[in-house]
Amino acid sequence: MPPIALLLRIGAAILGGYAFCWGFIAVAHSGLYGLGMPFHDAEHLSAILGVLLYLVVFLWSFAARRIGVIWAVLLAGGGVITGAAALIQRALLA
Amino acid sequence: MFQNFRLSMAWLHTWFGLVLGFVLMVVFFFGSLSVFDREIDRWAIPSSRFAPQPMPSFDQILTPAFEKMQPAKEAVALLEGRVNGPLPERFELATSWGAYTTHRDPVVSVFAGFKVPDAKDPEETVFAVHALDPRSGAVLPQGQLRIGSEFFYPLHYSLHLGWKDLGYWVVGFSALMMLAALVSGVVMHRKIFREFFTFRRHKTVQRGALDLHNLTGVVALPFHFFFAFTGLVIFAGIYFPVAHTQLHDLHEQHERVEAQATGLPHERAGVAAPMASVDAMVAEARRRWEAKGMAGDVGFVNVQHVGDANAYVSVYRAGTDRVALTGEGVHFKATTGELLREDPPRSAVDSVNEFLTGLHLQHFRHWLLRWLYVLGGLLGCVCIATGFLFFVEKRKQQHAKAGGQGSRVVDALAVTTVTGMLVATMAMLVANRLLPESLADKGAWERNVFWSAWALTMLHAVVRGGALARAGTNPAWREQCWAIAAGALTAVVANALTTGDHLGRTLSTGYWPVAGVDLSLIATAVIAALVARKLAQRARRSSSAASSAPAALKTAEARHG
Repeated sequence: MPPIALLLRIGAAILGGYAFCWGFIAVAHSGLYGLGMPFHDAEHLSAILGVLLYLVVFLWSFAARRIGVIWAVLLAGGGVITGAAALIQRALLA
Repeated sequence: MFQNFRLSMAWLHTWFGLVLGFVLMVVFFFGSLSVFDREIDRWAIPSSRFAPQPMPSFDQILTPAFEKMQPAKEAVALLEGRVNGPLPERFELATSWGAYTTHRDPVVSVFAGFKVPDAKDPEETVFAVHALDPRSGAVLPQGQLRIGSEFFYPLHYSLHLGWKDLGYWVVGFSALMMLAALVSGVVMHRKIFREFFTFRRHKTVQRGALDLHNLTGVVALPFHFFFAFTGLVIFAGIYFPVAHTQLHDLHEQHERVEAQATGLPHERAGVAAPMASVDAMVAEARRRWEAKGMAGDVGFVNVQHVGDANAYVSVYRAGTDRVALTGEGVHFKATTGELLREDPPRSAVDSVNEFLTGLHLQHFRHWLLRWLYVLGGLLGCVCIATGFLFFVEKRKQQHAKAGGQGSRVVDALAVTTVTGMLVATMAMLVANRLLPESLADKGAWERNVFWSAWALTMLHAVVRGGALARAGTNPAWREQCWAIAAGALTAVVANALTTGDHLGRTLSTGYWPVAGVDLSLIATAVIAALVARKLAQRARRSSSAASSAPAALKTAEARHG
């Protein structure tokens, strides 16, 4: 296996996975709070689920066939949900 | 890229397991020791060898101690560059005072937070932290290191790499890799049930190591998964500081709303005001717990906005009798002692979170479970160490033939993190007993002994690793086992000589914190000596086998040379 392909996969698992889980935690935290869950409950619940999600996407980054798909899902998906969290925060502060 | 799912998981398991395994070894071993951190503290600081005490009188004992406290030089030094202008000599404005104890603590942990004047971040706080003798109010000298709770325990979760919290991140990533290794390990071995009952001790080292690796991995699988997972949950706020960065504004808004709802002031009023009797507030809190049918001890008392008209006192119940940590907070206005708020019952999410973190941190009273934690942690160490052995055994013949250094490097690192870590631990305990109590910065000396001894074991493992080039066994394994046995026994003898608390006395008076550490050291010495002897026998057998078949070896060498 070429080293560059391996590095891309490791990078996707660690960095892409982190970005995606950050987005998940941000959107779940702000979203659940917006839906009326107490702030720290929303924080803890999204963190607990976020850690498990990191494990899943990490393993998936090695198991999935196409590296491009992995990066696209993790970075673009992570970006979209992080942005969604920012919008939810703005709506709640308004 | 990988041919199939199983191969991708095998690759992940092998390489991430190998690289992060060295960190995980440290995390598992010092996590196991941290289960008895308070007891190791007693062993290391003879002046604290007395029975656990309840939270002392706040008015008589704690307040005078808090008023004298100042942050340590090291804590102040960390503020360098975070302040406009020079660092102050004294910190005058205390923002909070806290006192914390558990059912295993003779000494109370007291901490005072101070506002840092002219700090770039207006919320910058510097802390003074001490152990306090609740019988007299005297603080233990700051130079004395509580080896269990101030060295082994932080080593478990931060590796003492303070720079940018790097250690937390390395440990966190390793915990994630532990989870990944557990899942991928199960995927790799489809016949998991049969392997569970397989241990071919008398076959080759390679088979035996793999069987033991599978056995310890599977038998304690729920334990390993739970601890790696809850460790991540405990520090999730560090790994994903979402509420303090991206959602900072939302967090601030929530805190202001909450301060209004709870009546607990978020800010200082800026008007100085004296404090009413905190002991009376503590008594009232205990009365309220009793009225709810959950009488209990005080675990944590905190004064927020010390000396201000907005000051309030929070009294929390110790979690001695349940999994969750301190809780049932009752809050009082500090100037009058008037009740401000009683915490509502835990929500469902909070209960789950408290259960996950509480079961990991286990401040509750259950000695059997405490020992099972040690057993689980040590099984984790066996699992990781046998993983290293399997890695080396599987490859060393091939590397020796091809002249590769891979298995030699891995083996040297394995020696360092398995036996070397124990040698360093023993060296630290011996140093603790032999260095004079009056030595200023005794703790710093002990730390230096620990790291130096560990570095020496690495050097030793590398220097003695030449045997791997002939596909043999590194004699450093055996030699360091002897060092462990000698160190452990020396520590026990040194404790008896320097404190008089030999096993005859501690066992007959039932002072288990010290007796337990001594007995564990003796058990360690016995196991290390048995292993060393076994390794010596094996080395003799293989060298006589090699000398009885020199011709065959020569032809083999000639063929590959």
